[in-house]
Amino acid sequence: MMEKKMQEDFSLEQMEQESEEVLRTRFLTRENAVFQRTGGGFLRLTVEGESYPRIMVVRMFPFQEKEKYLSVRTTDEHSREIGIIKDMADFDGETGQMLREQLDLRYFTPVITKILSIRDEFGHSYWEVVTDHGPCRFTVRMGGNSIVHLSDVRILVMDIDENRFEIPNLEKLTARERKKLDLFI
Amino acid sequence: MNLNFSLSEENLRLCGLEDGEEICYCLPLDLTVDGDFQKNGYTVITDRRILTLEQGKRTHELELERCGRVFGESMIGGGVLIVVQDGLEQLWGRFSGKHMVRYFYMDRGVQLLKEKSSRRVVSREYEKTCPVCGRVLRGTKVCPYCEGRKGGFVRFFANLLKTYWKKTAAILVLMLVSSLISVVSPAVQRRLVDDVLTAPERRPEQAVLCISLMFLLGFGGVLANVVKNYQCAKLGARVANDQRQKLFEKLQLLSLSYIGDRSPGMLMNRISRDPSRIREFVSDTFCNAFTIVILFPCVGVYMLLLNWKLAILAFLFVPVSVALSMAFKNHVRRRYRLQGRKSDKVNNVLHDVLRGMEVVKTYGQEQRESDYFSGAADELAKIEKYNETFFAVFYPVLTFMLGLGTYLVTYFGGLSTLDGGMTPGQLLQFINYASLMYGYVGWISNLPRSLMDMMTSVERISDIMDQSPDIYDHEDSVGHAVAGDVDFEKVSFGYKVYEPVLQDVDLHIRQGEMIGLVGSSGTGKSTMINLIMHLYETDGGRIRIDGENVNRIRLKDYHSQIGVVLQENFLFAGTIYNNIRFARPEASREEIIRAAKMANAHDFICRTPDGYDTYVGEHGYNLSGGERQRIAIARAILNDPRLLILDEATASLDTESEYLIQQALKRLTAGRTTIAIAHRLSTLKDANRLVVLDNHHIAEIGSHEELMEKKGIYYGLVMAQLEMNGQL
Repeated sequence: MMEKKMQEDFSLEQMEQESEEVLRTRFLTRENAVFQRTGGGFLRLTVEGESYPRIMVVRMFPFQEKEKYLSVRTTDEHSREIGIIKDMADFDGETGQMLREQLDLRYFTPVITKILSIRDEFGHSYWEVVTDHGPCRFTVRMGGNSIVHLSDVRILVMDIDENRFEIPNLEKLTARERKKLDLFI
Repeated sequence: MNLNFSLSEENLRLCGLEDGEEICYCLPLDLTVDGDFQKNGYTVITDRRILTLEQGKRTHELELERCGRVFGESMIGGGVLIVVQDGLEQLWGRFSGKHMVRYFYMDRGVQLLKEKSSRRVVSREYEKTCPVCGRVLRGTKVCPYCEGRKGGFVRFFANLLKTYWKKTAAILVLMLVSSLISVVSPAVQRRLVDDVLTAPERRPEQAVLCISLMFLLGFGGVLANVVKNYQCAKLGARVANDQRQKLFEKLQLLSLSYIGDRSPGMLMNRISRDPSRIREFVSDTFCNAFTIVILFPCVGVYMLLLNWKLAILAFLFVPVSVALSMAFKNHVRRRYRLQGRKSDKVNNVLHDVLRGMEVVKTYGQEQRESDYFSGAADELAKIEKYNETFFAVFYPVLTFMLGLGTYLVTYFGGLSTLDGGMTPGQLLQFINYASLMYGYVGWISNLPRSLMDMMTSVERISDIMDQSPDIYDHEDSVGHAVAGDVDFEKVSFGYKVYEPVLQDVDLHIRQGEMIGLVGSSGTGKSTMINLIMHLYETDGGRIRIDGENVNRIRLKDYHSQIGVVLQENFLFAGTIYNNIRFARPEASREEIIRAAKMANAHDFICRTPDGYDTYVGEHGYNLSGGERQRIAIARAILNDPRLLILDEATASLDTESEYLIQQALKRLTAGRTTIAIAHRLSTLKDANRLVVLDNHHIAEIGSHEELMEKKGIYYGLVMAQLEMNGQL
């Protein structure tokens, strides 16, 4: 590793080459990229003659754009960018479906549809909610950055295990639910 | 952390265990592959197979022999279980962040099973929440709430009282006295009213008697209370101090792996803050608790005797007012928490803008920042106004409400007195008792919180006290005069079980040999040294010193025969003299001077104004890095160790001190087994053999010349350093 570091430090040529590579942006489109299922539940990508046995799809703007500006990366330690998908709609329905599955796998953020109860005790609050993925209980540390306001009405709740839960619109909650929530947000 | 959850009968049947097949790990899979929450999902790893069970079905199954790696990959808000088969990564299941850490252990766990090893990975980490009640565990192994219910807390307290039984007994007597005085005083007042003030004939001598009695009782009560409070404070301080010292002693006994797993701040809190909590509890809550235990029944009985109907009315009002005052406090706490959060926000905005003023100005964004700040400030103002109003209006109302009990008692008691059911004196006595009782209402409403805080602290302290050190002297430990042979036999070790640092390392170091450890950072050089010093226990394999397993050598004995010189040497607050003789306090002055001379330290020591009596350490005489180094070498020389460890001993020194230190080290290492780590390879030129570590293993081994010829990793490192120094 040290060897490699040395080389990086001292070979100007290589550094320049690498920075060129970073700047180069390749957009993946229906024309140049082929996504296929691996049989193991992940995706393989062939693009301009290069082949990647497993790729991951990363949202660049996870809170703003769910299906636009996706970075397709390798899954190894360095996680290099292979290309960018500007809009998933550029791909056919089948590919879109495959990409969506990968995104759902990577970003697990249940949406809270109903707040049953929030109880606070000694610095932590205990939530019992119904989400679009089923009923669930979780624990949130009070104070700190556990509650993120994505907008005036949209919030993200982070529990002690770093699970995320989203409330897309506070105004859609009932008055009773709002009252339960008020002290915590 | 639990890595082997127990399965229901039905799930066990699903596993279809063969004869002799044993479940080694069992972790929950709390999400379906589609991301829905599920309760009945598990990953089961036996010594032969890995399988997943979901909703009463076996969803995957594979012989361990046929699978490659098995690992958890973290995603955002959870993770997935991946099993590699024939080079293909397969998605087997999904779990929430709650179980992420558990799955980190699986890679290593499965690897061990595939090697047919009988070792299992265990997690030293604690659960985040109590598996029974779901409450968050604040740095304790077991839940204070559940354990407290089982009486762990009571046992702890009973133990404390037993240890300090004399003081406790004295306090109990004082409490009894002060409680009795509280009970008797109203009785005297009654006599004053009934027998003197409202009596038809004048009895001044009775009045004097009553008033003197009241004065004496009042004085006695104050005196008893003062002494009681003083004794309680003393007991609390004493308990806390004892606990603190015991904790410190215990902490020093525990191995570095326990300490390394915890942050220094947390350990400091354990020692400084948790005992303080106990002190607060003993001196505030504990004393009052007994007063109440004594006072309430006495007062209660008296009140019942005086007027049982009225007494029941008064009693009924106690829970009402406790509930009222608790609700009020909860509400106030919440409101103020909200205010605190808003005020934090204002501060954050301010902090941001002030620090980034340059950026705000250069980009011309003043107006936007002002608007943002006004918004935050308005929110704060709104809640502040609300809170102030709330306090101004509700606090007096609450006080009035809490006093309602007394009014009720006075009203109904007054009626009864007019009817002749009670004398005015009795009424006065009754009202006094009722006020006494209500006076403790505020205190009772604080009780749950202070109890919980206390129980958590007790748990945290017990957590350390109950920890058995994993490196300790066994019964058959022996004293051993170290000759200097060191053997690594298939040694594996990692600070976290799922991140191995060394794997199956074999190395034989001969007596008197100097070994240079080489490798980039993070390859395990310092770890090897830590293992030789027996600061950690190996995960697998063993280390022998002169053929004796290091586990069997008495620790104190062993450590006194090892000399260590580090890059940054720690000098204790004290004189140079004391620092040199740290390891051998009985050394004579001549010996110390000789050691200092051998370490090339004598001359600079003599140049300091106070010579060997120079005070070093924090706020002490400022020694340079090289000077500290030479004191450390003198310390090692004086100890005459058989085994010498040099960890970057000559890094970050100027050329002159390096020369002096090299010279000193040469004298020190002569004839001793030496293990040296150095980034600057030139400093290892005297080593008999060099050991190159890479990728958890020994990659190369041999003399400088041999390794240069081999043109392997070592060659590359030397070349890179020469290039860096412009010598190529």
